[in-house]
Amino acid sequence: MKTERMGVESATALLRRFEPVIRSTTGDKFYPMDAEPYVQSCSLWVQRPGEEARCIVPGGELSLDRLAQQPMDEAGAVHFLKFTDEADLHPDARGKSLFLRHAMNRKESRRAFRAGRGRLARVGYFSRFVDALYSIALLARGRVPGESAAAASVAYERIMAEHAHYRYHGRVVRQDGWIVLQYWLFYPFNDWRSGFFGANDHEADWEKIFVYLSESEGGEVSPEWVAYAAHNYTGDDLRRRWDDPEVEKVGEHPVIYVGAGSHASYYAPGEYLTELPLPLPRPLARVTHAVRSFWKTRLGQYVGEGEKDAGSGYFSIPFVDYARGDGLSVGEGGDRAWDEPRLVTDPPPDWVSGYRGLWGLYARDPFEGEDAPAGPMYNRDKSINRAWYDPVGWAGLDKVPPPAETLEAILEQQADIISRCDALRAEIDAKSRQLKKLGAELAAMRDRSHLDAPYEAGTRRVAALSGEVDRLRGRLATDEAVSQSLEEYADRLRAGERDPARAHISRAHRPGSEDELRVSRVAEAWAAISVSLMLISFVGIAMFEREHLISMLVFSIAFFAFVEAGFRGRLVNLVSSANIGLAVVATLILIYEFFWQLVVAAVLIVCLYVLWDNLREIRR
Amino acid sequence: MEPGRTSYRAVRAIGVLLILEVIGLVLLGGYEFLQVRWVGINLESPQHETVEVAVFALFIPSAILTLLAALSFLFLQRRGWLLAAIAQGLSLAVSLWLYSLFQPGYVYPIMAYCVLMILYLNSQDVRMVFRPREGASHEN
Repeated sequence: MKTERMGVESATALLRRFEPVIRSTTGDKFYPMDAEPYVQSCSLWVQRPGEEARCIVPGGELSLDRLAQQPMDEAGAVHFLKFTDEADLHPDARGKSLFLRHAMNRKESRRAFRAGRGRLARVGYFSRFVDALYSIALLARGRVPGESAAAASVAYERIMAEHAHYRYHGRVVRQDGWIVLQYWLFYPFNDWRSGFFGANDHEADWEKIFVYLSESEGGEVSPEWVAYAAHNYTGDDLRRRWDDPEVEKVGEHPVIYVGAGSHASYYAPGEYLTELPLPLPRPLARVTHAVRSFWKTRLGQYVGEGEKDAGSGYFSIPFVDYARGDGLSVGEGGDRAWDEPRLVTDPPPDWVSGYRGLWGLYARDPFEGEDAPAGPMYNRDKSINRAWYDPVGWAGLDKVPPPAETLEAILEQQADIISRCDALRAEIDAKSRQLKKLGAELAAMRDRSHLDAPYEAGTRRVAALSGEVDRLRGRLATDEAVSQSLEEYADRLRAGERDPARAHISRAHRPGSEDELRVSRVAEAWAAISVSLMLISFVGIAMFEREHLISMLVFSIAFFAFVEAGFRGRLVNLVSSANIGLAVVATLILIYEFFWQLVVAAVLIVCLYVLWDNLREIRR
Repeated sequence: MEPGRTSYRAVRAIGVLLILEVIGLVLLGGYEFLQVRWVGINLESPQHETVEVAVFALFIPSAILTLLAALSFLFLQRRGWLLAAIAQGLSLAVSLWLYSLFQPGYVYPIMAYCVLMILYLNSQDVRMVFRPREGASHEN
């Protein structure tokens, strides 16, 4: 990979020309800000293995320059910033006011933001059960204290009162023929969990939007692709072509719908059901896959649609990301304009490259969801972030040549294939001749008893050579077909035709449809209470109906499953699955009861079939 | 919801198979019923065989559902699939329950027929015929 630098002025001009418009959701409290005032309000801490966290630089004494110095570094040490003051969280006078502020904030948030229907109603029992466990686990896991969001909100408002600003951090790099405009958005706090029923809270949030430009021979740049970072989307699924109708634009500025609290970036407004998948253990996944494969291919049974990967994981924890776009917008034509960006030049400034710690509280969460992220250049484990060193590969664009180079790449590839075909033809000719000679030799040796041994060896050689020639011919045929399609592809490009804009996407971000969001209040209430109700009913049965424990449990599960399936519109699936289960049990009973009769019947059927088949042949 | 011409055969075949199932249930029930001497039966402590035959009545709801499903199929209504599937599941559940209690002989043919019907109803070809229309978000 090769990245090149660009002059400060031209870089800034490019960044400003294509800077995004962000549209947030009503109720969101934090917006992209400059990293400097944030760092100035933080204290710097270090957590060394087996020790209490220690404050290295107290709040108010830190600066971007000082951040790069990482004293007390050693193996296993984690440096982190603290944005919210612990004193604010204790019940002294200041804490009291913060507590009131926190309560007020929650009230304000509730007024401003109303959660969409049916986070839980959109997923099944197991997911809801795991969701409950996940929430309970938060009590045991490290997490950001509940009042932190309020404290962060106060601190953010203090910063904004001193100097109101909306700023991004811009970086421009050239890589593999692309000019990559990197917009790094820094939010002081992620309050997805506490504010919007999401998965986590953490101090500091670095989000990124990349715009990929191509450059003509005359030096004119034009936007070709954009990539917005969003949760666990990676590679091709992240990026959209500039002319994709999903990419909304204001002039030359792409529009981003920001997830409330999570700050994930989306192309379209809506409510996104983000599911954290829980994969099955590998051996179990293999068995499941084998059974499904047998069920579908051998027995010709229906396994549903869109369930190709179902073998790897069936369960997930649901979260909704509200990216409604009905809140404050920043950028071209928005409620607020961007301030002059903070340019991140190459080589990067020390605060970017020198500080490898976390940009907020280190909550020691084993799932890392509650730990603050590292800076734009690093991952939490201090390794370098791919989006930093390979922004083109990060969005899966490393296999896509810029438009000006596409035809050249096609013709080069075609020339390579043609020369490979020539070499293959020569090899096939030589080996075919050899094969014919060997064939003649074999024919000469046939039925000569004293040449039995060399005849056998020759037969093996002929078979091997024949196989090899066959493989070579197959490769040649494929290469010729590929060369032909490259030729046609080049013709289409010359005629100005383009690939479909969305052909590269395998799993697109998709907001919940009207149908999915139209969950009735009853269904939602059912989703909220059903897991608890089911567990209570199990306890009740175990306590009061021990005599009929099994039958009552079966009846209870069937009842809950039936109601659930009715609400979720999956009655067909439920009936089908229940039937299959019953059929398997019945089959096992029949085999157990009538094993020998079934064997005899099977043999008789085979005999009759063979008889019928032979008689049919005679009749012809 | 009119099925296409190619799916006529599968739909009608299921209808006929369901009718055959109802006829079979009626014949089997009738035969079992005739095996018992109902005159002078002691209702307070009936014989084991009598109870076995009496509980055959549990198949009546599933037989009615099967008949309705069969008529739905014969009149080419695709919604009959769910009805037929529920009827088969119910028959099989009753059979398994009776098997766990008395192991009466008549449950085996019913089980075998239901298993085959379930496999047929769930086969790829049949399910594709009854697949919801494009754009429909829910299956039922």
